[in-house]
Amino acid sequence: MGDTTTILIEVFFETMSYWWVILPTIFLGLVVGGIPGFSAANTIIILMPLTLSMSLEVGLIFMVALYCASRMGAGIPAILVNIPGTAGAAATPLDGYPMAQAGRGQQALAISFVASCLGGLLTTIVALMTMPVLARVGFYMHSVEMIVVMLFGISLIASIAAQDMLKGLIAGFLGLMIGSIGTDVVYATPRGTFGFLELYDGIPLIPALVGLFAVSEAFVIIEKKLIITEKAKAAMATPNWHATFEGAGLALSRWWHIVWTSLIGLIIGVIPGAGASIASFVAYQQSRSFSKTPELYGTGHAEGLIAPESANNGVTSGTLVPLLVLGIPGGATAAIMLVVMQYHGVSFGPSLFEDSPKVGYGMFMAMAVSYLFMLLTILPLSRYMSRVTTIPTIYLAPMIISFTLVGAFVPREYMFDMYLALAFGVLGYIARRTGYHVAAILIGVILGPLLEKYFLWSLKKSDGDIMVLFSSNIGNVLWVCLVLSLVLPIVFGRIRRNKARMVTQ
Amino acid sequence: MRPDTDKDTRHLGGELVIPAFAVLFTLYFFSSIWNSPWTAKVSAFLVGGVLILVCSIFFIKVAVTLVRGEGSLSFANLFTLADIRTGRIGLLATTVGYCVFIDRLGFTLTTFLFLSISMLILGQGKRPGLIVLTSGTMALGGWAVFIWAFDTRFPRGWFETAMQMVLGNG
Repeated sequence: MGDTTTILIEVFFETMSYWWVILPTIFLGLVVGGIPGFSAANTIIILMPLTLSMSLEVGLIFMVALYCASRMGAGIPAILVNIPGTAGAAATPLDGYPMAQAGRGQQALAISFVASCLGGLLTTIVALMTMPVLARVGFYMHSVEMIVVMLFGISLIASIAAQDMLKGLIAGFLGLMIGSIGTDVVYATPRGTFGFLELYDGIPLIPALVGLFAVSEAFVIIEKKLIITEKAKAAMATPNWHATFEGAGLALSRWWHIVWTSLIGLIIGVIPGAGASIASFVAYQQSRSFSKTPELYGTGHAEGLIAPESANNGVTSGTLVPLLVLGIPGGATAAIMLVVMQYHGVSFGPSLFEDSPKVGYGMFMAMAVSYLFMLLTILPLSRYMSRVTTIPTIYLAPMIISFTLVGAFVPREYMFDMYLALAFGVLGYIARRTGYHVAAILIGVILGPLLEKYFLWSLKKSDGDIMVLFSSNIGNVLWVCLVLSLVLPIVFGRIRRNKARMVTQ
Repeated sequence: MRPDTDKDTRHLGGELVIPAFAVLFTLYFFSSIWNSPWTAKVSAFLVGGVLILVCSIFFIKVAVTLVRGEGSLSFANLFTLADIRTGRIGLLATTVGYCVFIDRLGFTLTTFLFLSISMLILGQGKRPGLIVLTSGTMALGGWAVFIWAFDTRFPRGWFETAMQMVLGNG
């Protein structure tokens, strides 16, 4: 224990001395995270020759800082212009964008930054302390359990549908249907591909994200001169630090919310194959379900912004756990880190902390230090970043379209993906104009294929016996939790209404 | 993120577009898996079945609303003459053009042309100097970051080729 503490202190100060790597990487990460298509994984691949030429410590710190910063950067356009930089930030605009529209973009950014940094920092510390236990979570999560985890996220459609049940369900199920496009996971039979080979792998997420959010939003915002109201613009005419402090205060006063939603992210992050998008949807849904004011969600509620942001940053540290302890990457970025580290002769797995403890602990320390630096350097920038909302829409809309459409091209480098993003843009525009929620469509597109995959694996393993869904103890506990998370908010809501009625009587 | 709906007059024609598309797409999807193994069908039939059911309920609800005279089959919430005036149709045309020409003209030039033309349409021809300057800066900035610095495989045309030769010889 004493040795570990000494190593941790040593590694902490050593990591701090690499501030000259961390600071520019944070800004790079914010940029690449903010543009759809440019994830941390893509950027590390693009900069692979540079990363491989760095020393082990510098390369490790660079990748980890970029990973953390890009996760946080994805939330910035989601809040300011309703465009999530990655699928992991898809739940962020639900409450972030209404805040920006009301001229509270600076507060929203401050809330997001504080929630992201504290969520990331906390989960890094928890992951560091509970690594051996957390690493085993992946072993217990089989296809049956994963089905229930997916259903936790998909149940957000039901919440969205609560505003207009039929339209919400149509949007959600249309998303699930679109998500089914591509070959099936067992026999690779092409389905609903319209004959396009580019769709055999399924609907690529970035073009769907770009189209449904960015392109459709650009076509909607041109009706107004600015994203924000004239009143809000007048209030923003005299920039001050007060709004930043107010936002940070709002986030800090909900510290318990940051804690439990980031832990949701950590646990989901540990499961290989699960990711930030699932974590943020699940955290948002659970936050709304157990809130005393669920009716405020979707209108610019601080807790609705804290939940997805702290959860998707919790995923960041979670994905490192199976990588370091078991040598199993929990996501695309972790897989690329594995390649780079192996190039430097570092082998992951149980022996890592005995053979190269500084590398093992160093990755978590790099993450913790990056979050500390981010909190100190990015929070003050919220005052200036929020000015994006004051750019006239005649300039903003074409810029959004051009850079996000090209972003749709980047991950697979198919021209087809740009046309696909445009098609999703038209679908998203029609949906917005006629009262269908684009977030419900996107949840279906993201989680539908995963749900189907685990569902088919379960059926295949059990020779088509549907009761396999209730065959595992952990799965059954999760089923009970799912039912409780759907039923309890209704019960609590009734109790609150009854109490309120009794008070008024 | 809140959907834009006109609560005063229900333009049901526009509201029917998504469910109609959903039903047509689902039927096409079913036709594509009709002779496939059960693994390809099971979840699609489950999800598609529910989608068709929900859409059918919506169609009935719309029919009842129409019979009661509380709505019309117009598409005014989707398309109006204001869409031409605000430049939305023009922006759609330039966006399609952007996708078509970027492969031939390359990222930088197409982005510059798209930004300039779109901004001029949306700004109704006002402040052309500022628009050209903004478009040029954005396009060149994009080229510098994504192509020159990051060396991404953005579509390349004569501008990118020329710059590569200039920088290569420099």
